[in-house]
Amino acid sequence: MAFALVRSALGAIKEKGLKGAFRAAKEEGYFAALLDGNLANSKFRIDGVKLVGVDKAGNRYYEKMSHVQHGRHRWVVYADKVYNASAIPPEWHGWLHHITDHTPEQLEGLRPSRYGVEHMKNRTGEGEQYIYHAKGHALNPNKRDWKRYEEWRPVE
Amino acid sequence: MAPRCRRYSLPLRRSSTGSAPRRLASPVVDSASICGAGSGVAAAEGSGSRGLHSGVAWYAGIRGQLYEGKGRGKDGSKQVSESYKWSSGMSLGGVRHARTASVAAVGAKFTANPEDCIEVSVDGSNVTIAKGMTVLQACEVAGIDIPRFCYHPRLSIAGNCRMCLVEVEKTPKPVASCALPAMPGMKIKTNTPLVKKAREGVMEFLLINHPLDCPICDQGGECDLQDQSMVYGSDRGRFIEAKRGVVDKNLGPLVKTVMTRCIQCTRCVRFASEIAGVQDLGVLGRGGAEEIGTYVEKLMVSELSGNVIDVCPVGALTAKPSAFTARSWELKSTESIDVSDAVGANIRIDSRGPEVMRILPRLNEEVNEEWISDKARFSYDGLKRQRLNEPMIRNSEGQLEPVSWAKALKTVAEAAHKVNPAEMAAIAGKLSDAESMMALKDLMNRLGCERLWVEGNGENADADLRSNYLVNTTIAGLEYTDACLLVGTELRHEAPLLNHRLRKAVRNSRAKVASIGPELDLHFKCEHLGNSSDALLSIAQGKHPFAQVLSKAKFPSIIVGSGVLQRSDKDAVLAAVQSIVQQANMIRDDWNGYNFLLLNAAQAAGLDLGFVPGARAPVGDKSSIKFLYLMGADDLTPEDIPADAFVVYQGHHGDRSAYRANVILPGVAYSEKEGTYENTEGRTQQTSPAVPTVGDARDDWKIVRALSEFAGVTLPYDTVNGVRARMLAVAPNLFRVDELEPATPLPKESLPESKTKLESLPFKKVVDNFYMTDAISRASKTMAQCTAAFSSS
Amino acid sequence: MLRQVANRGLAVLRGAAASQRACATRVVSDRPQQIQQFGVFSREYSTALNLHRNTSDNNPDVPFEFTSANMEKVKEILSHYPKNYKQSGIIPLLDLAQQQNGGWLSINSMNKIAEIVGVAPIRVYEVATFYSMFNRQKVGTYHVMVCGTTPCMLRGSRTIEATLLKHLGVERNEVTKDGKFSVGEMECMGCCVNAPMIVVADYSNGVEGYSYNYFEDLTPERVVEVIEAYRKGEKPPHGTQHPERLNCGPAGGLTTLLGEPKPPPCRDLAAC
Repeated sequence: MAFALVRSALGAIKEKGLKGAFRAAKEEGYFAALLDGNLANSKFRIDGVKLVGVDKAGNRYYEKMSHVQHGRHRWVVYADKVYNASAIPPEWHGWLHHITDHTPEQLEGLRPSRYGVEHMKNRTGEGEQYIYHAKGHALNPNKRDWKRYEEWRPVE
Repeated sequence: MAPRCRRYSLPLRRSSTGSAPRRLASPVVDSASICGAGSGVAAAEGSGSRGLHSGVAWYAGIRGQLYEGKGRGKDGSKQVSESYKWSSGMSLGGVRHARTASVAAVGAKFTANPEDCIEVSVDGSNVTIAKGMTVLQACEVAGIDIPRFCYHPRLSIAGNCRMCLVEVEKTPKPVASCALPAMPGMKIKTNTPLVKKAREGVMEFLLINHPLDCPICDQGGECDLQDQSMVYGSDRGRFIEAKRGVVDKNLGPLVKTVMTRCIQCTRCVRFASEIAGVQDLGVLGRGGAEEIGTYVEKLMVSELSGNVIDVCPVGALTAKPSAFTARSWELKSTESIDVSDAVGANIRIDSRGPEVMRILPRLNEEVNEEWISDKARFSYDGLKRQRLNEPMIRNSEGQLEPVSWAKALKTVAEAAHKVNPAEMAAIAGKLSDAESMMALKDLMNRLGCERLWVEGNGENADADLRSNYLVNTTIAGLEYTDACLLVGTELRHEAPLLNHRLRKAVRNSRAKVASIGPELDLHFKCEHLGNSSDALLSIAQGKHPFAQVLSKAKFPSIIVGSGVLQRSDKDAVLAAVQSIVQQANMIRDDWNGYNFLLLNAAQAAGLDLGFVPGARAPVGDKSSIKFLYLMGADDLTPEDIPADAFVVYQGHHGDRSAYRANVILPGVAYSEKEGTYENTEGRTQQTSPAVPTVGDARDDWKIVRALSEFAGVTLPYDTVNGVRARMLAVAPNLFRVDELEPATPLPKESLPESKTKLESLPFKKVVDNFYMTDAISRASKTMAQCTAAFSSS
Repeated sequence: MLRQVANRGLAVLRGAAASQRACATRVVSDRPQQIQQFGVFSREYSTALNLHRNTSDNNPDVPFEFTSANMEKVKEILSHYPKNYKQSGIIPLLDLAQQQNGGWLSINSMNKIAEIVGVAPIRVYEVATFYSMFNRQKVGTYHVMVCGTTPCMLRGSRTIEATLLKHLGVERNEVTKDGKFSVGEMECMGCCVNAPMIVVADYSNGVEGYSYNYFEDLTPERVVEVIEAYRKGEKPPHGTQHPERLNCGPAGGLTTLLGEPKPPPCRDLAAC
């Protein structure tokens, strides 16, 4: 483990230079991991951490079954830096919150084929186009037309 | 269980004393037949169908009548509302089935005479009922609801659903109460465990082949089977085999069939053959394979076919135009009047938000019973299309462009002042209400114009004698006729409900009917005497054999179609008719058999209000008209309107005349206003607004009132009550809503002398296409589909 | 690499925690078995479809008229009923039309009867669809009906029917290619004592030569002989086919009640 770590660090220095490697390591959160046990667990994959799966958005789901406080043995590392808990799809949500012990791959057979839609995270605050307006709202571009008659137009 | 009120001997005493004089010319003087003419207290008092379940109200009305005898007074109405209260309270989970006791269905007539009454015991308490009533009717009188599917008081008794099982003492088995005549001293039990169990068994069998598709069924929420299964159904089934499926039948563009839901009550079969008079539906097959159908591909060609939807207790027959559009509980019901013909059927407009979702009949024994024509029921989608929603003016390029109300009215007022009053004319359309006609007449008279008429009445209508333009037998009274002559009318197309009444007379009392005019199958036996006025003349001269039939008849009648008014020799035709009337002694103290059938909803009120050309008005030549005010008048041909005339079109639909208009003033349709209408028998009724007006449209009388201000001849009323006060001065009967104002029979001496000679012309069809007669039905897609589907008939 | 790890982890998880997953896997894998075999029930009605579909030999353009001889019969039938209840004659008229029309009722034959008795056609259709002995589709010249009710079934009517169908090479209610035979099923025809039995309706000679004969005490061999006799144009002896039986008497003669039965003992009146 340690060898692999050193080897990959050396490789990175070789590739990007010391400064570049340092910045990359900082961006990747390796230094923050020094202070955060869970992050360290996932970054360095120390003793018994298992990567259980990765969802479509790239969020990674980890599990550590021993030497960990009960209830903190499953966690997610978000793909996005500015993350949002709603990025977790419901099938992984279930696993993460111990609703089920099965990963989405295992439950694939239960996915409704006709009406199941792809999960989308909450985009609130990310721009006008993501704001939800009710069907009758004035700002809804597809605002429903409540006019229930067709007016006569003189045909020339 | 709701408390049940029972009256024992008291009602009978009251009935013998409390008989009010009958105003109607109904010949059955000594017997207040329960469903007979002019005696439905419920309808007469207007409280008839306050409730959601018209059946309950009807029931209440009959109760009131039973106990009030022939009374129609204040007392009676009180009783009605009181009995309505408790009868609705005990209705079974909102079941529509609290209908009762049309004795006509059994063929018996109830008289208030105590000798004709019997006493039976229902659940331990005695009730007095008429002889010939069934056990089910006895239970109804006792205030007990019997569940039923196949029994319908207006249809013959089938007794095949078995849901109405009750226990009668000394019978070994439960009996079907709808088919068992009540006998004196019978002890009927309706709430024993045996009865409950028997009905549960019947319900389980009915549900064996009934699909569980209530969530997608249009009848859901107003389904008799659904309601009754709440009481008698099990929460689980024991039936594990496959349910059967039945091929759906094509009954045309109005009635949607899902035959798998059918429980073979045969109500529709009986309706088709007994009421509509079309022998198309039948019960095919047997046992588990039994189904309702036409066997061959055949549409149900009847103007009353939509009523099978109401008659069907389940979702097997539903309305095709309103399929999957609304649920019954989300609709707002408004009680209104149909204006598609002159009968003025009572309807209920069911709306959701700004949209009319469906139209259903409302009970009025004296007008439409519980039926309405297909045009009344299904032309509502025309209310949503081709609507005029803003005032328009034809600009200098000849284009119509939207303008403000003020500008439009100013333009009209200026145009009106430019022309000589003798060159002005106003025509009220066939859907105009009395208020707007009153206002228009006042306006035009103030402008000096007297050339006004209502569409259908003709340009030289004669409003002098009210009995000359009304159905004097009354609509319900027509059932009593035993010989009827139709002159120049296609009754089935002009007034399907009146045709049904005449059909009843033919069926029940073998009335002899002959017709002179366009040949049409009226769905009952009718002798066609040709389509020429010669036949009329020979009857008038007493040469024709039918003249003898009429003079021998006890209650002879004649129905003259309003197409006669379009004839050049109309005076001569009417004089010939009058001589037939005299020879057959049709006008007596107890019977007035002279009927003039109007075609349009506006006609009777227009005549009553004197919306006819004044004495000084020019007649005939239309080419002198320079200013033409059309209030929804669409039946003019382009040739009728001179090219240089200034045409104002006030109306709700962009129909024919709107294309010719110089100014368009958007009015409202009957579903959006409170308008007074008078039907062809002289009954004043009012529509009520069910949905809001569209766009910038305004009430018609308000438009006329506003215009009068612009024209400088302000009319002296600002409210609808003001207009009605004016109407009260002109035609008092139009103020008495829901009342029939019979015309005073004409004294024999004052017969009009014929100025013209009877010409040997054929009588013309006045209704080319039953499904498209007015602006609303012409805009309706459903009616267009009907036209296409039924055009072969 | 991540994926490899993940897959490996999953593989382990799958193997080790199999018992844990029992619930979920059942949900996934048992799916096809959840559809239980309820579909095997189906109702077969002996009656044909209660609908008319136009075919080349049965449509409103194919005319039907009673022959003049049969028209006399029509008049005779109608004379049994009051003038205002002519519709009472619908069933005998349908029977007559069926005999004339080679064993089945075309749509126009029913319309014709409606016209004769003066009712709407649908009233005749109602009757014709109600009674299963009225065929509304073509049948063979010899329409064979096998009794399928309990006593006959216990005595082997199913074998009889299977033999017939196999011999003629048809399905039930199907007509042989030469148009001579068709096989249908009937409910109890009251011949239970000589079960199993069939009926052969013979439409080969119109109304005059029409016969409707019972063949009782059948064996699979005998029923084939009967059919073959009909095919040759013969009229095989109808009634019981048991060589030793007379009508519905016991086979091989009486075994009991041979002598004069003893009168019932009379009580001693003097003792009263």
